[in-house]
Amino acid sequence: MHIHEDHIAGGAPQHEHPHTHEHTHEHTHENDHVHPHDHDHLHDHAHPHDHSHGCEGQCAGCQGSCEHTPMEELTALMKYMVGHNAAHAKELADLAGKLEDAGNHVAYEQVMAAVSDFEKGNMRLSVVLSSLDVK
Amino acid sequence: MCLSTVYKNSLTPETVMMRNVMRIECKDGMVILTDLMERQMAIEGTLEMANLVDGVAVVKEAAV
Repeated sequence: MHIHEDHIAGGAPQHEHPHTHEHTHEHTHENDHVHPHDHDHLHDHAHPHDHSHGCEGQCAGCQGSCEHTPMEELTALMKYMVGHNAAHAKELADLAGKLEDAGNHVAYEQVMAAVSDFEKGNMRLSVVLSSLDVK
Repeated sequence: MCLSTVYKNSLTPETVMMRNVMRIECKDGMVILTDLMERQMAIEGTLEMANLVDGVAVVKEAAV
């Protein structure tokens, strides 16, 4: 078995860990910049390890050499959730439209009212996200 | 399209491998998980189950 413990979500993604053997370990990044990766692994095979950090090679502005602060993670999660909720709101609106097409106008109106409430809640989240982004 | 929590071998709180997983790739006998922050984790094994409604998946670790 082989687990990159340093990449576990929520843990500090440090790229220095002890090696018990010699092996090739290719790291390919989308970015042009080079990261030191002194790995220690408990297995005896080679494998590629591709990932991007989303920092677009701007290491100078990257906090903690591609580590992410808890606030950065929370902001990323909030951003995802706001977009995710918007997608769900659209799906619900589509579902409402199908109820209308099926002749159930009352259900259509109720679902659309729920969509409206849902969007209001998501708008509130969006405002919070904006405040997180500026800090 | 929801983020998932991936477990190793069984679906228990103690066996959580990674949370907020946005991508699961199965390649060359490895299961590669990527979370929202683009962190990756690889394990030798197979994807045993993925419940996309509950946002959970279980990876079966390969026998050593």
